[in-house]
Amino acid sequence: MIQANQLTKRYGTNLAVEQLSFQVQPGRVTGFLGPNGAGKSTTMRLVLGLDAPSGGNATLNGRAYRELPAPLCEVGALLDTRAVHGGQTAHHHLLGLAHSNGIPRRRVHQVLELAGLAQVADRRVRGFSLGMGQRLGIASALLGDPGILILDEPVNGLDTDGIRWIRDLLRGLAGEGRTVFVSSHLMSELELTADHLIVIGQGRLLADTPMREFIERNSQAATVVRSPQWGRLRRLLEGRGARVQPGPQGSWQVSGPDAATIGAIAATHQIQLHELAPRISSLEEAYLRMTDRTVDHRAGRRLDPHLDVTGEEG
Amino acid sequence: MSTHQLANPPLTRARNQRAGFTQALHSEWTKLRSLRSALWTLAAMAGCILGIAVFVGATRSLQPDDTILGGSLTGAGAGLLVGASFGVLMMTREYAAGTIRTTLTACPRRLTVLAAKATLTAVAMFVVALPACVLAHQIGTVTLSGHGYAPGAPWPALLGIAACYPVTGLLGLAVGTLLRHSAGAITTMTAAVLAPSLFGPLLGDWRQWVAGASPLAALQKLSQTSDAAPDVVGSLSAWSSLGLVCGYAAVALAAAAALLQSRDV
Repeated sequence: MIQANQLTKRYGTNLAVEQLSFQVQPGRVTGFLGPNGAGKSTTMRLVLGLDAPSGGNATLNGRAYRELPAPLCEVGALLDTRAVHGGQTAHHHLLGLAHSNGIPRRRVHQVLELAGLAQVADRRVRGFSLGMGQRLGIASALLGDPGILILDEPVNGLDTDGIRWIRDLLRGLAGEGRTVFVSSHLMSELELTADHLIVIGQGRLLADTPMREFIERNSQAATVVRSPQWGRLRRLLEGRGARVQPGPQGSWQVSGPDAATIGAIAATHQIQLHELAPRISSLEEAYLRMTDRTVDHRAGRRLDPHLDVTGEEG
Repeated sequence: MSTHQLANPPLTRARNQRAGFTQALHSEWTKLRSLRSALWTLAAMAGCILGIAVFVGATRSLQPDDTILGGSLTGAGAGLLVGASFGVLMMTREYAAGTIRTTLTACPRRLTVLAAKATLTAVAMFVVALPACVLAHQIGTVTLSGHGYAPGAPWPALLGIAACYPVTGLLGLAVGTLLRHSAGAITTMTAAVLAPSLFGPLLGDWRQWVAGASPLAALQKLSQTSDAAPDVVGSLSAWSSLGLVCGYAAVALAAAAALLQSRDV
């Protein structure tokens, strides 16, 4: 279990993380979400003892990271997958790490096998693709067979197969009772992988809830409608207090009445329907709605609602 | 790929699973021996010492009042500069590649990491430098004997000369830890090796403390070369110079340790 207590990090006058408290429970995948510069990477560095907090503390299974006798055997971390010396082979990189915690040499072969890198174990890391580098990072995190995993953007740069592999791996690791804490800017990916969400913005905790609950609470019920007689239908719907918005490819999003009501109205007035589909908000929409609300609630401290869905985590 | 592969061969928790000094040293050694660039730096250091000894022996390009020991170790100064880079890179390559975070996550007790790096730097440099210097002296003895040069007293001077390398390496490691950037730290170390002899003579009474304070001055005095005139390298004795440089290295390492301990990475 990871526990942050009033964790605060100040860089000069800038508060990167402010009084952040949360728990990451074992047995499930916890997603760590927030816009660029929200303090996700800083939080992870604080938990790992790389940065010293300005206030508060973080514990892993009840102990500060620096007090762990063999850290790799308790916590596996992936922070920056490019952080490997290019002149080293994958095998030697992992062997050096294994020796630092007294982990037996055969474990290196196991994780290379597990990460699908056995074939390239003796190649220099310089020639690795982004995806291979990512797999090497995962292999390093799993080296000590740790009960806690802290992964910053693990799917970055992976191809479809790789993303699926990580997803299955993380779910499997959580299924074995491990604590899995994973940040990602790919919300669609988190939506498929995470069971629980911790959301931060400007270094503050915004939400700490199960994934399903988060989406439900922050989603907007809507129905996608497509009709050749849309003008008539629209007047009828708006007459009943429905709100309509244009959707993609000539469709319309109707909020207010549910799909059954809309269907009944159309039938009564003999309006043809080409599409009538209830729509569930995605994590991304739920997230954007929540951050929008956060801006309202904290006027003056504007939260950047723009999520980086293409670039790198800052 | 199934995750069962992870669960099925469970890691047998051996008793020695800890992250202490022995493990850190083992890890550093594994990194060093698998990095070609690091091994090449050590080879270049030995190459400087030996290559110039062969050159001086073959061409007899030394002052008539020089000693065979001093002449055959003409290249030792150049080797010292390469050695300084070796010490610097032991730390700065981790910052350049970003592996410092991995290293400090694997062993969060930072002083242990620094101690392991220092031990390995010192041992590796001494183990390479001592045979190289002894061999250089042998080459000089064979090629220069019988031409009227004074032999010089090789022992225990050669031990002291070889010791200049680990001391310089440790100073380099400290400067690398303090500055974190390879280029800046190597420049600083080049200045630390050369500048005292260059500028020391300008400082009047302070000269002996400054000019004698560089690892190069200590090395030149130990090798009893005619280049080691008191007005160039200070009037401290050879071994006092070496002691002074050891003191500087120790202070630099202590500062590096304090900063490494408190700094965010």
